[in-house]
Amino acid sequence: MTTTTNSPPADLSTAAHTVGVSKIYGAGDTLVTALDDVSVTFERGKFTAIMGPSGSGKSTLMHCVAGLDTIDLGQIFIGEVNLSGLNDKQLTRLRRDTIGFVFQAFNLVPTLTALENITLPMDLAGRAPDQEWLDTIVATVGLGDRVSHRPSELSGGQQQRVAVARALASQPEIIFADEPTGNLDSRSGSEILEFMRMAVDKFAQTIVMVTHDPLAASYADRVIFLVDGRVVDDLHSPNADSIIDRMKSFGA
Amino acid sequence: MLKVTLRGLLAHKVRLIATAISVLLGVAFMSGTQVLTSSVSASFDKVFADVYASIDVVVRSTNEVDTPFGPERTRISENVLPAVTEVPGVEAAEGQVVGQIRVLDKDNQPLVTAQGPPNFGLNWLTSPALNGWSIVEGAPPTAATDIVLDAKSAKDSGYSIGDTVNVSVTTGVRSFQLVGIAKFGKLETWGGAQSALFSTATVQNLVGEPGMYDWISVAGTNNESQTQLSAAVSNAIPPGTEAITGTEFTEESQSAFQKIIGIFSTFLLVFALIALFVGSFIIYNTFSIIVAQRTRELALLRAIGASRKQVLGSIVLEAFFVGLLASFVGVGFGVLLAIGLNNLMQSIGFSGPDTPIVIPPVAILVSILIGTTITLVSALFPARRASTVPPIAAMRDVAVDRTGTSKLRVTSGLALLALGAFLLWFGLNGNSDSGLQIIGGGAFFVFIALTVIGPVIATPFASVLGWPLERSTRITGRLARENAMRNPRRTSTTASALMIGIGLVGFIAVTAQSVKASTVDAINQSVTGQYVVTTESFGSTALPQKMASELESAPGVQVAAGISATFANIDGSGKIVLAVDPPAISEVIDFSDVGGSFSSLAVGQIAASDQLAEDKQLVIGQPIELVFLQGGATTLTLSSIYKTEFPITGPGWIISTDQYNLVVPPSQQTFSAVYIKLDDSSASGIDEALPGLQAVTNTVPGAKLQNLNEYKKAQTDQVNQFLSIVYVLLALALVIAIVGVVNTLLLSVYERTRELGLLRAVGMSRRQVRSTIRLESVIISLMGTLIGLVIGIIFGWALVTALVDEGITTFAIPWSQLIIIVIIAIIAGVGAALYPARRAARLDVLQAISSD
Repeated sequence: MTTTTNSPPADLSTAAHTVGVSKIYGAGDTLVTALDDVSVTFERGKFTAIMGPSGSGKSTLMHCVAGLDTIDLGQIFIGEVNLSGLNDKQLTRLRRDTIGFVFQAFNLVPTLTALENITLPMDLAGRAPDQEWLDTIVATVGLGDRVSHRPSELSGGQQQRVAVARALASQPEIIFADEPTGNLDSRSGSEILEFMRMAVDKFAQTIVMVTHDPLAASYADRVIFLVDGRVVDDLHSPNADSIIDRMKSFGA
Repeated sequence: MLKVTLRGLLAHKVRLIATAISVLLGVAFMSGTQVLTSSVSASFDKVFADVYASIDVVVRSTNEVDTPFGPERTRISENVLPAVTEVPGVEAAEGQVVGQIRVLDKDNQPLVTAQGPPNFGLNWLTSPALNGWSIVEGAPPTAATDIVLDAKSAKDSGYSIGDTVNVSVTTGVRSFQLVGIAKFGKLETWGGAQSALFSTATVQNLVGEPGMYDWISVAGTNNESQTQLSAAVSNAIPPGTEAITGTEFTEESQSAFQKIIGIFSTFLLVFALIALFVGSFIIYNTFSIIVAQRTRELALLRAIGASRKQVLGSIVLEAFFVGLLASFVGVGFGVLLAIGLNNLMQSIGFSGPDTPIVIPPVAILVSILIGTTITLVSALFPARRASTVPPIAAMRDVAVDRTGTSKLRVTSGLALLALGAFLLWFGLNGNSDSGLQIIGGGAFFVFIALTVIGPVIATPFASVLGWPLERSTRITGRLARENAMRNPRRTSTTASALMIGIGLVGFIAVTAQSVKASTVDAINQSVTGQYVVTTESFGSTALPQKMASELESAPGVQVAAGISATFANIDGSGKIVLAVDPPAISEVIDFSDVGGSFSSLAVGQIAASDQLAEDKQLVIGQPIELVFLQGGATTLTLSSIYKTEFPITGPGWIISTDQYNLVVPPSQQTFSAVYIKLDDSSASGIDEALPGLQAVTNTVPGAKLQNLNEYKKAQTDQVNQFLSIVYVLLALALVIAIVGVVNTLLLSVYERTRELGLLRAVGMSRRQVRSTIRLESVIISLMGTLIGLVIGIIFGWALVTALVDEGITTFAIPWSQLIIIVIIAIIAGVGAALYPARRAARLDVLQAISSD
């Protein structure tokens, strides 16, 4: 790990955690509690899935932890850094250096090649990539010479693999993936999930993934269930069946 | 569907602002200049009507000579007057004398400068029926030394009754005594022209000819119509004279002035059309982008049953509304602009007395029509594209517009380019009367052709221009370069708007530089003298001929040779005829003989330039018939065909000064310039001669003594002055082009919201976002500027090549100016990106990535 934080993490096993986080939209009759006193810990080197029905707040939670959205109550830490104390510039730097992102769609800058997309965060930081690490990543993505192609010339699955590779390339504390398989067919989807699984197993990368697909969640080490902005369940070493059972239990 | 259009219009109103602005500015310029010129024209119509109000019939010479100052007529003898007076129905008839004069102020400087209104010398008419002047103080002029000034001249100069007033004439400075101050009707001046009034005999000597009138004004008894009276007078006057009604006379003066205003108006109109032409690119771009952004919406409309026609119609209707509204507002601004300029002109004393604003309905309608039509036509291609959106597109992600390199585009672009080039060539080299229009058409097609080919060359161009940026700024430059390359059509249309403006600037700059270089070259090659005396005045107010001999007797002077100019009809049309003292002028300006002998040119003879002789196939010894403005018909023998590098005014006819003095009355026997050669042409000799020369020139108001370097600079300064006027007029087109750049950047920032959000999410700082947009803007600006300059240089080269015969022999490129233009383009590019870059940097990351 080459990432820097303001102070060494007290608890080395925690990549990020939230303390009593609440987020409210609107007021009066239209008041919606998107997150309601959420306290979760994302362990380092683990693959955590966040599940829940639509409107459960799973995406909101991820956006807040990733520093993309603000919260009304509570605290969020990436490593030991408290996000509520950071201004926009510091947040930008945090995202660039400490966090990786994989979105559902539109992950890649269309004008840059796959390889350029992978090195983009480092280029933005004006930092030379760790060549050895980069070679490893590129080899793992398995695009071969297609890394010099533009996103429009790649399949959806390949594009998402490039997106994950980009997130991995800067060796972030934590990678957030927002429905990374949402736009893919099941084969491409499992390709990506296996790729992320491999990143966790082989490189001890921390990944947090939001999904509503039990099959996708089954690749994770742990599944957190959210309903109406609350954490309602926490399942370790899940498989697809156990996930579906749990979901049924709270009527999702 | 109308509802959809209107909703769309409201939803995109911010995006349509640039379209509206470009139409508005063009229409405002167009209608404003028309309103202004109509108002000025109307005000001068009124001036002429006022000035000639008391005249029922005018008797004048039938001989008219066209001059660069308008048509002028030969004077008529005062012997005609008695016959006119005796015609029944004539209440009063008097000869009118009018001429340019130079009244001096208390410091012996011209009271009215050469740039100001004209300063006329007039005779005081004695019959109340004809004299529009009334004395407000003092008495009318009667004695030979009496002068009466109009109220404004008296006020400006501070002269009061009894003061001595000096007037500069060909025989030197003459002193008069101010006996009266007069007003013309209720006005302080004679229709804006400041005037000095004298007794008839006095003013004949000063600015006219003894015993001659410019015309005879007749007032009737009002028992007959002007036409009847005019017919009666016609029968009483000798051949060579004619009678016309006062109304006709007034209308002639009005239409002569309207012609000048018309040229001015057309000149301005050309720039308004250029501005609108540039604006059309912005309209095209805006609608293209709106259509691209609304692909999904349009596809949805198609999916639920809208026909292609309806989709097309909705876009066209949107364009129509925007165009119409912007044109209306533009006309409003135009009228305000005209009022402002009119007030400004009045405050500097340019226009006539009371000038109400005239709003010509036809011009206003045409402005609105043109503004609306240009918007419609520019939106037609995008609208057509919109109508071809397949319904299935609603289900797809919006694809990036990647068209632009089709074969059809290249072929049609090259075909248009060939057409434009041919028209340019034909207009420049052909002998068509409408050469200018053909050249304009050629330029238009070249610009259109480059716009058509633009998308093909935009990508490699942006790539090359962006390369150094990418080298120096890494990722931001890389992204900027890619962004400029990714949508070649948009990049090139945006750049095209700038290209046209810059192309014209470059063209004018190159042409002007070539004209300047050619002038300097010509002077260097032909003038062997060291000093030149010039004046901005003409005719009776130019340099007195005796000045040359006075200068010649100044210490250190070898020769002082003057050049005069007059007008004569040759082959039925008015021509400038120059006059020199051949042996003397040959000492200071190089003339070489092609045929005959130039230096022995004498009375009864005329010389022609080699060019003129070739064009007219003249041979030595051939008789040339001339009708001089005042000197009458004369036949001269062609005795010399000469060649000179000197930039000669007019077609190249030259007579001797002695011949000139035979055909021009003494009051007009002047030089327009005097060239001086010194005994000692070294730097010290030039310095030593100066005081002696100044002693002579200081006695002549308006005379300007210049050494050769100053003279060359003065000649090129005239070009610079014209250049700055054209630049100001082209500035509007450039402003519109920059608005286009801002617009394109804003719309692409809007379009790339998600991409920018992604970049921000993965760690791009606001500063880096701003820098990317800024660099993209610089690439687009540079592209337009560089292509424009290349076109401008080529156009300039073509024109200069075609004008070799007109004395533009040197092709020169003003490198420093062009470099300044490029630097300004970079600054403008950065400036244009300010707002879009701020918008982009302020994007909310979360909203950006979750926006649909």
